[in-house]
Amino acid sequence: MKRFLAAFAAATLLTACSSGTGSSSGSGDDQTLTIASVDQGSIEKVVDAFKAANPGVTVNLSTSGADQYQQQIRTQLSSGTAPDVMTVWPGNGNPGATYVIAKPGYLRDLSDQPWAAQLPDAFKQVAQYDGKTYNALFGLNGIGAVYNDEALTKSGLTAPGTWTDLLAFCKAAAGKGTPAFALGIQDNWVTQIALYALVATTVYSADKDFDTKMAAGQATFAGSPWTVAMAKYEEMSGAGCFQKDPLGTSYEASQTLAATGKTLGIIQGNWIIGLLKGKNPAGTFSMKALPATDDAAQFIMPAAAGAGYGVNAKAKNPDLALKFVNFVMSPEGMKTFNEAQGSLPTLSGAGTTVDPGLAELTSFVEGNKTVPFMDQLWPNAKVQQTMLSGLQEVFSNQATAADVLADMDTDYKAGA
Amino acid sequence: MTLDLQKRSSERPVAAARPRRRGPAAPPWWFTVPALLLFAFVVLVPSARGVYYAFTDWDGLDPAFAVIGLDNFTAMADDPDALGAIWHTLLIAVAITVIQNGIGLLLALGVNTTIKSRNVLRVLLFAPAVVTPIVTAYLWRNLLGPDGAVNSLLGVFGIEGKNWLGDPGLALWMIVLVVVWQFAGYSMVIFLAGLQSIPREIYEAAAIDGSGPVRRFFSIVRPLLAPAITINLMLSIIGGIKLFDQVYALTGGGPGHATDTISTLIYKDAFTLGEFGYSIALAVVLTAIVAVVSAGQYAVLNRNEKAAS
Repeated sequence: MKRFLAAFAAATLLTACSSGTGSSSGSGDDQTLTIASVDQGSIEKVVDAFKAANPGVTVNLSTSGADQYQQQIRTQLSSGTAPDVMTVWPGNGNPGATYVIAKPGYLRDLSDQPWAAQLPDAFKQVAQYDGKTYNALFGLNGIGAVYNDEALTKSGLTAPGTWTDLLAFCKAAAGKGTPAFALGIQDNWVTQIALYALVATTVYSADKDFDTKMAAGQATFAGSPWTVAMAKYEEMSGAGCFQKDPLGTSYEASQTLAATGKTLGIIQGNWIIGLLKGKNPAGTFSMKALPATDDAAQFIMPAAAGAGYGVNAKAKNPDLALKFVNFVMSPEGMKTFNEAQGSLPTLSGAGTTVDPGLAELTSFVEGNKTVPFMDQLWPNAKVQQTMLSGLQEVFSNQATAADVLADMDTDYKAGA
Repeated sequence: MTLDLQKRSSERPVAAARPRRRGPAAPPWWFTVPALLLFAFVVLVPSARGVYYAFTDWDGLDPAFAVIGLDNFTAMADDPDALGAIWHTLLIAVAITVIQNGIGLLLALGVNTTIKSRNVLRVLLFAPAVVTPIVTAYLWRNLLGPDGAVNSLLGVFGIEGKNWLGDPGLALWMIVLVVVWQFAGYSMVIFLAGLQSIPREIYEAAAIDGSGPVRRFFSIVRPLLAPAITINLMLSIIGGIKLFDQVYALTGGGPGHATDTISTLIYKDAFTLGEFGYSIALAVVLTAIVAVVSAGQYAVLNRNEKAAS
């Protein structure tokens, strides 16, 4: 029996050791900061600038893709091994979003930081939970029709300015063998992008308070102009706006089509411009609002804060964590981040140099003619997932637009 | 099993009276303790603790959660995505098991001859099995794309290509195709090992007695190959039920939910939707299916194996 107990004790020690290694890094040293991020390719530059401004500071940075990150950060938070500073998405509706992580008390209140009060209202709404600011949102992204300038010139067509023009443009482009837009909806998140571009104008130009009405139970997807946007999406597909077999085309493949001029453009977020230039360094690309009606004065573009940074409520090094987040929100940090990502700044006066192709987006933002991405204020992650797989089903004739909107309403009403 | 034990215990006095002659003594039972302990702490205890969450509404994050009894399991019965995933999983598992082993057996019979290039062929046919599944899946995702190699090749012959992965009626079979392409060689190797353990004399004797190749296959090869058949069927059906990598990389469960398997649904429910309790309940169902199917299959095949030997 004694021997059995000894073996038992040895085994428990072993497991204790193996679970302990993750948490020991970075403790007992007030010059080390741990950061987990999804901003691969841009956060590195910000960290370098932060280290240059704060000599003697060590930063343990880990970056990963959004899927893997969301899975890992939740495990780390619930087991007390999360980093000091971490990527947090704005609003609600995904497993790494502000509401979701702030609600159980995992994030530090950042309301008393100098930038918190300066955030424009549209961002405050998604950076706050229960009236307190938790998310340092530094970048803004918009969705529109991104044209390959060279391909457009070669086709002899001009970017459409109204819905009627758009359909004619699609038919003409398809007739020339270079379809208007690349659509890579094998990756299901892509399905929502063009729909958001249509919903922004069809739903929000007439009703700015649609989200409030939804939250109050006074509106539904199926009983709103969302039905119009869905019908227009299908009409675009029918008019040959997209290349053949969008469901067999990946996001990656759609970039190649647009970058190399096999299509005249792509309906995507502004982040696509950097990716298109990666595939075609000589190309120039410009973003325009996607026309959803015949009255250009009504156009609204979807534009929303991208993922920002939150501070762990149990940060091992809270002072350094706050210092880093404030650096991200300083003109220098924000400029570095935005320019590396191709995003627009959330605070004025950052001095960011914006890609000339984004001039129209900038003017829409400044003219207050934007609406946040629709999912950021939805009560749970399921509404969006239902929409994404539902749109794939619409494109493969397994469901109708009405089915999808009705399912979204059911999930919306299920609440948090 | 119990019968066996009883028989042995009733024999014991006799056995004890005789000097030990029957091979080396069995090692003392406590030799297994270190391995069992490790297994318990690494596998059994965490799994058992995990099962507990199947009866809660835990979201994977919030330490405050409620025990909700069997609600997750009853919800599954009303969830068309879950029922669809179970159906797809069984369909994929059966299709892979039948096709992969059928082709594997034919390949094994083919390379078990005296043809000259048999060693080169064996290596080539086995080669896909050593590549990581996720890599082959991404490779095939490109080959099967609208402008991919498969459609280009069909175009050469004037056949119009299909939307292989974007068509809900085809996508599931493309997953089966990719898995079979990769692992038929693996089944072949196991069958080949079985075939090579069959003594030549038996074939010769049968040939002298006047039996043809078909008769020889069913009367000699099939019974003597029984152990290889058992292991191949077990491996492929369990692998098919648990299939995740290839599905996730090829279609992500789409279009819509047309190719979701239990495993991809577990992943999505847990990590995209934050419904850990529900997702763990699905995992429990998956475990139960694997256990029942493999136990049933083992019982049947084991009986056949015994009958054959």
